[in-house]
Amino acid sequence: MYLSREEERILAGEEGEARRLALSVIVKVGEALGAERLIPIKHAHVSGASYSTVGEAGRRFIEDLARMGARFSVPTTVNPVGVDTEDPGRVPVRYTREYLRGQKAILDSFRSMGAELILTCTPYYTHIPRRAGLGPGSHVAWGESSAVVYGNSFLGLRTNREGGPLALMAGIAGRTYYQGLHTPEGRRPIVEVRVEYGPLDEAEAGVLGEALAEYTPHGGVPLVRARIASEPGLRELAAAVGTAGDLGMIHLEGVTPERPDTGGIVERVTIDRGEMAERMEKVAPTGRPDIVYIGCPHAGISDLELLERELRRLGKPRSRVLVSTSRHVYMEALRRGLIAKLTSYGVEFVRDTCLIVSPFRDASVSVATNSYKAYFYLSRKGVRAGLAPIPRLVESAR
Amino acid sequence: MPGDAEGEAVVAESLSFYGEVDPQTGLLVDGRSIAGRILVLGRARGSTVGSYIIYALAKNKKAPRAIIIAGRPDPILITGAILANIPLYKADPTIMKTVRDGSRVRITNNTIYIE
Repeated sequence: MYLSREEERILAGEEGEARRLALSVIVKVGEALGAERLIPIKHAHVSGASYSTVGEAGRRFIEDLARMGARFSVPTTVNPVGVDTEDPGRVPVRYTREYLRGQKAILDSFRSMGAELILTCTPYYTHIPRRAGLGPGSHVAWGESSAVVYGNSFLGLRTNREGGPLALMAGIAGRTYYQGLHTPEGRRPIVEVRVEYGPLDEAEAGVLGEALAEYTPHGGVPLVRARIASEPGLRELAAAVGTAGDLGMIHLEGVTPERPDTGGIVERVTIDRGEMAERMEKVAPTGRPDIVYIGCPHAGISDLELLERELRRLGKPRSRVLVSTSRHVYMEALRRGLIAKLTSYGVEFVRDTCLIVSPFRDASVSVATNSYKAYFYLSRKGVRAGLAPIPRLVESAR
Repeated sequence: MPGDAEGEAVVAESLSFYGEVDPQTGLLVDGRSIAGRILVLGRARGSTVGSYIIYALAKNKKAPRAIIIAGRPDPILITGAILANIPLYKADPTIMKTVRDGSRVRITNNTIYIE
């Protein structure tokens, strides 16, 4: 691999042991994947921050790095953790003391490395992209699959689907390997998928994501001709694509800010109304759910506005309504009076975390959600889950 | 990745370090130990937490002496092996036919010898 003089210096340990280790990991992973050089990044987003997902092994690693004196050399944000850091009681979970201690150790380590502790899977809903100067063409290293797909597909960012530790190393080293979705060739669509039905609501967008993961060969990029009704639909589409397969990007016609090079398309697929209906039926909720869950990935303002409108129309629900969001969006919603209105209908908020990365695992409750990703992971945790858009969820909660 | 190694093989067709390896004991879910052995993998899969599990194995002195992967290594395995300082070798997929549990494996100058 070609290395600049500065990169050679870092590898020689002249900028400390932590940066040397971080860069050596990136170089070796890059070499194994055939990268010829590195690329500076403007921002890193580290996944694997919840004690539920990384466990003692991860805590130990992150703590060791912090003790080594590691510092992020680019603005770095962190994924949701396992608790609401200000009010753990908001999550329907009984935490052990050991869990809270482990989670705190991880957070303290990230803080000492200089991370911005907005603990969210939707860093793109915060002030961070603007502050980091991100725009179409910016190279970043993101480790949350839903954000990776959103960033590449809708913001024009360039990032591979980094594993949690690799995004962490990239944030410390300030670089990642130049390969895959960082390169123009890596972003060429290889399959075209046309959806003959729409516009799709956010639940249908998630199911489309599932179909895209099935129709796109390993690690490829699909060119998608579909109409998505709303911004939350884009987020749910990205999250589903990241959950159901190993894709890191889609070209959504009219939305993706770059013009796709269609010369590499080898297959064309059409999804009709019948296929969408069939896929939706498989995941549909039945009866009144115990919990209506919104905010996977973390809800934005427009989700909260839609939820408020539907609750105003249909009245106070009998089911529990739980929303997970970032502290950033929560504060914004507070300023706009949305939190007061929603809590008056009994809506509960969890911040910094969600039902997926917290230790929530209650097989005795049923959950209905507008998120394909939440549906997917809750089902795998043994929770009875179903998928429907917000208006249908509010209706079923009465 | 360089580094010579020698030891007894433990063979797994497919392995997710997260959920299928105990980082405290170095035992696989089927009860076999990978500690101090040469781990031969057909395929690595699963969560990115896997890198951390490999690291924890090393910290707990339960890591394999080397890992041989038949085919293309994925970033999770590579990252874990580097962090844990475990030599990682790429081998031809046919190795899965010639190596068995308990085979004596020696790696010198990037060549794998199986007895």
